[in-house]
Amino acid sequence: MKKKLAGVTPLAKFSLWERLKEKRIPFSFDLELTARCNLDCSHCYINLPANDRAAQKSELTFDQVSRIADQAIKLGSLWCLLTGGEPLLREDFFDIYLMLKKKGFLVSLFTNACLLTEKHVELLKKYPPRDIEVTVYGVTRETYEKVTRRPGSFAVFGHGLDLLLKNNFRVRLKAMALKSNIDELPAIAAFCRQHTADFFRFDPLLHLRFDGNKKRNEDIRGERLSPGEIVALERGDTERAGFLQKHCDHFIFSPGGHHECQHLFYCGAGNSGFTISPEGYFRLCSSLWHPDCICDLKNYDLAEAWNNLVPRVRNLASSDPEFLEKCRSCPIVNLCLWCPAHAYLEHGRLDAWCEYFCQVAHTRAENLQASMFRAKKTKSIK
Amino acid sequence: MTFKIKPEEIYVPSGDVVAREIEGEIIIVPLSAGIGDAEDDLFSLNETGRVFWKMLNGEKTLAQIVKALGKQFDAPLARIEKDVVGLAGELLKRRLIVEKKRS
Repeated sequence: MKKKLAGVTPLAKFSLWERLKEKRIPFSFDLELTARCNLDCSHCYINLPANDRAAQKSELTFDQVSRIADQAIKLGSLWCLLTGGEPLLREDFFDIYLMLKKKGFLVSLFTNACLLTEKHVELLKKYPPRDIEVTVYGVTRETYEKVTRRPGSFAVFGHGLDLLLKNNFRVRLKAMALKSNIDELPAIAAFCRQHTADFFRFDPLLHLRFDGNKKRNEDIRGERLSPGEIVALERGDTERAGFLQKHCDHFIFSPGGHHECQHLFYCGAGNSGFTISPEGYFRLCSSLWHPDCICDLKNYDLAEAWNNLVPRVRNLASSDPEFLEKCRSCPIVNLCLWCPAHAYLEHGRLDAWCEYFCQVAHTRAENLQASMFRAKKTKSIK
Repeated sequence: MTFKIKPEEIYVPSGDVVAREIEGEIIIVPLSAGIGDAEDDLFSLNETGRVFWKMLNGEKTLAQIVKALGKQFDAPLARIEKDVVGLAGELLKRRLIVEKKRS
């Protein structure tokens, strides 16, 4: 017995991750327990009213979730993110959470924190989640409720967040950058950085809704920041600006540095994880709703979806000249929100060019190149 | 606090963890508070550790496990015993295994 029998390894350095990647094992998945939400955020891509009976009726039952979880375990999944909508709206949230923990999943939770009670705290303290992510829409009642469109929501959010922080859960705070809260974003960022477990991130890029609701899509478009506003935010955030500069080569390919082909998918969707909708639809990522790219796990086995559907989807290609010219060979695609999933939500086609995304990406690229130029100049003067 | 390993005792996996076998490795996932989560650690056992873990079935004493491993692995018994006691001590310290109560 020359080898050590056992090792204790920090999660991030776990050697198994690399092996799982090589063997295309889905080590994580997102489980959207419900599309319903107690809030009514104008920018949200999924929310339905909390009392939407039809939506509630269509949700996977506890037994169906349990069966899918067993299939995920057989495939080697280790990490499950519970999200929504607002997952705490599920009456059987406690049962589902505990069932997943007892099956041996690391469980993360996305919640708006508004519905948190002492009873949740008791459960989460006894059976800790890996982490909890909460979005901070505003740090004043006016701004928070302007985004959530629910009077009284700021007070319950504050109460819920206090419960989480007071009980020392690993809480990660994040923000969405919107027209409705842009003036307060520096204060939101400062608040999040003060209270978050590790890093704070904000997202200024909004994609459209999964259900294609035209009115709600207009609400989302109304919340989108202009390219100039996005760049100004990123420039003003030292952490974000530094990250973009440090990884400039990843965001702007040099000539010839970009692999050109006709495949639609250049991202990692379906390589190491998947998403399950409240009704049980399997997707490669949460946004990918094209009917040719999903399957209903109420009728199909997860292994079938993972082993057959995913490779088929990832192999999809396009010969559309506009896509090939503007997107597939684009050197700044990593600065763009464009992907086949978002293109489908935007225009109903996986290979559609999206003007707004393109404008944002080019403005970001110009700003990044200018800041790199300034940095080089400063360095040479010194 | 010391964790004395007794060869004549039976040790079993703690009810506060769930052992998962992924790609040939045993991954011990903390279920309850106070095990691993504070340190952001996952516990894994390699191939030989996995054989040991599977023998923690509530029937064999640690001494019997050492003997059984001696038949499976080409190594001196004293060496196997040292490794097993070391591993059991580590697992006990981290509350991943517990001593089985005698009825």
